[in-house]
Amino acid sequence: MITLIHVTKQYENRTILDVPRLTFESGKRYALIGVNGSGKTTLLRLIAGTLRPDSGKIENVPLQNMGYMPQSPYAFDFSVLKNVEIALQKTPQPAEKALAALEAVGLEKLAGARGNKLSGGETQRMAFARMIACPRALLLLDEPTSSMDIKGTDQIENQLLRYAVANECTVILSTHSPAQALRLAQEVVYLDQGKIVEQGSTEQVINHPRVESTRLFLQHWRL
Amino acid sequence: MEYLIKAFSLLFGSDPELRQIIGVTLQMSFFSTTISSLFGIPLGILIGSSDFRGKKWVQRINNTLMGLPPVVAGLIVLLILSRSGPLGKLKLLYTVTAMVVAQVLLITPIITGLTATIVSIRAPQIRETAAGMGISPFKRMLYTAYDCRVQFVSTILAGFGRAIAEVGAVQIVGGNVQFKTRVMTTAIMLQTNMGHFEFAIALGLVLLIISFIINALVQKLSDGQAENA
Repeated sequence: MITLIHVTKQYENRTILDVPRLTFESGKRYALIGVNGSGKTTLLRLIAGTLRPDSGKIENVPLQNMGYMPQSPYAFDFSVLKNVEIALQKTPQPAEKALAALEAVGLEKLAGARGNKLSGGETQRMAFARMIACPRALLLLDEPTSSMDIKGTDQIENQLLRYAVANECTVILSTHSPAQALRLAQEVVYLDQGKIVEQGSTEQVINHPRVESTRLFLQHWRL
Repeated sequence: MEYLIKAFSLLFGSDPELRQIIGVTLQMSFFSTTISSLFGIPLGILIGSSDFRGKKWVQRINNTLMGLPPVVAGLIVLLILSRSGPLGKLKLLYTVTAMVVAQVLLITPIITGLTATIVSIRAPQIRETAAGMGISPFKRMLYTAYDCRVQFVSTILAGFGRAIAEVGAVQIVGGNVQFKTRVMTTAIMLQTNMGHFEFAIALGLVLLIISFIINALVQKLSDGQAENA
C-alpha cells in the first residue's frame, strides 16, 4: 500500500501540493482528476521519485518495479522497437517482448521507423508500449491518451485494463476526462489547487459528488 | 580580386614555408579541438543533463572561462612550461605541443558550455522519461549524447574555428619560430609588422579559404547524418 503522509510541495513560494494523508491500495486502479494546475502531475512525479517533497514522506513505492509515463514522453532517435526495448534492460528476450507490446498498441508496422518522427499520439502509444512490455507492480500514467484520437484511446484503455488485471498491478493515472476515469478506475481522487477535495469509489465521486467544488468541475463535463 | 588571386596562388603554390605553416596550423587546430572535445563534450553532457548541488556555480565558472583572454591562457601555460615552472623539465615551451595545451585551455570551456546548452534543452524531458523506465543515469547520458550528436558537430566546429583563428596564446607559448611553430595567424601578424600588407592579406584569405573548406565538409557530413536521423 503506497502511503503519502503530510506531503507538501512548493514552487516559487506557492504551495502546489498539500496532502495530509493519501493511500493507494495494491492492485487497485486510481484516477486523479482536476483542472489544470490542480496538482495531478506533481503528485504523480512525487510518487515516481522524479520530484522530491518539501516535507512529509511517501512510503512503499516499488521503485524497482514501477513504470512512469510522463505527460510528454520522450522518443529517442532510435527505431520505435529499440525505443521500447530500452525499457526492458533487465528482462530476457527484450526484442520479442518489445514487439509484442507494439502489437498490443497497434504500432507494429512502425517498429522500424525512427522514434522521433512519430506524431504526438503515436509517441504516446509507443510510451505506453514501454509501460506494458513487462510485468510491473505499479503504473503511473500522466494523461496517457491526451494526444490520441477516439480509436487510439479505446485501444489503450482496453490494453491497460487487460494488463492491470493480468499483472495485479496498481495503476494511478491522471486524466481530464471523468468519462475515462469511469471506464478505467475503481477509485477517484479529485484535486483542486493542490488539495484533495474528494475521494472515493469512481461511481460515487463522478455520479454523486458530495463536495460543491467537485460538483462544479463535473458540471462542465456534463454540459 | 588581386589579393584573392594571390591567396589562391599561395594556397595551391609550392612555397615550402607556406606549406609548412598550413601543416602546423591544421595539426595544432586538429589536436587542440579533438582533445578539447574529448574533455568538453562529456563534461557538457554531465552539466547539461544533471541537477547537482553547485551546478550554477560550475556554469558561472565555465561561462567566465569561455571568455578567457588568449594572452592570459598563453601566459599561464608559459609560466607552467618555462624552465623554472613546474613542468619546465619537459622542455615543451616553443613547441606545437605547448600551443595545443594553451588552446585546449581556451577551447574546452567553449565546447563544454555549448554542449551543456544543447543538452539542457532536452534534458528535463529525457530525465522524466528515463526515470519512468528505470534507465540508469549513465545510460541516460549515453542516449542523450546520441540524440544530440548532430548538434555536437556545430560545437566542435565552433571550437575548431576558435583554434584556427587564435593568435595570442600561440604567439606566447609557440614563439612564432620559423619552420617549427609558425602558424597562419602568427605569420599574418609578422608580415603586418614588417609592412608586407599584401602578403598578410593574402595569408588571411588563405586562412579563410581553409576554414571555409573544412566547415563546408563537416557541415555536409552532419547534414547527411541529420537527414538519416
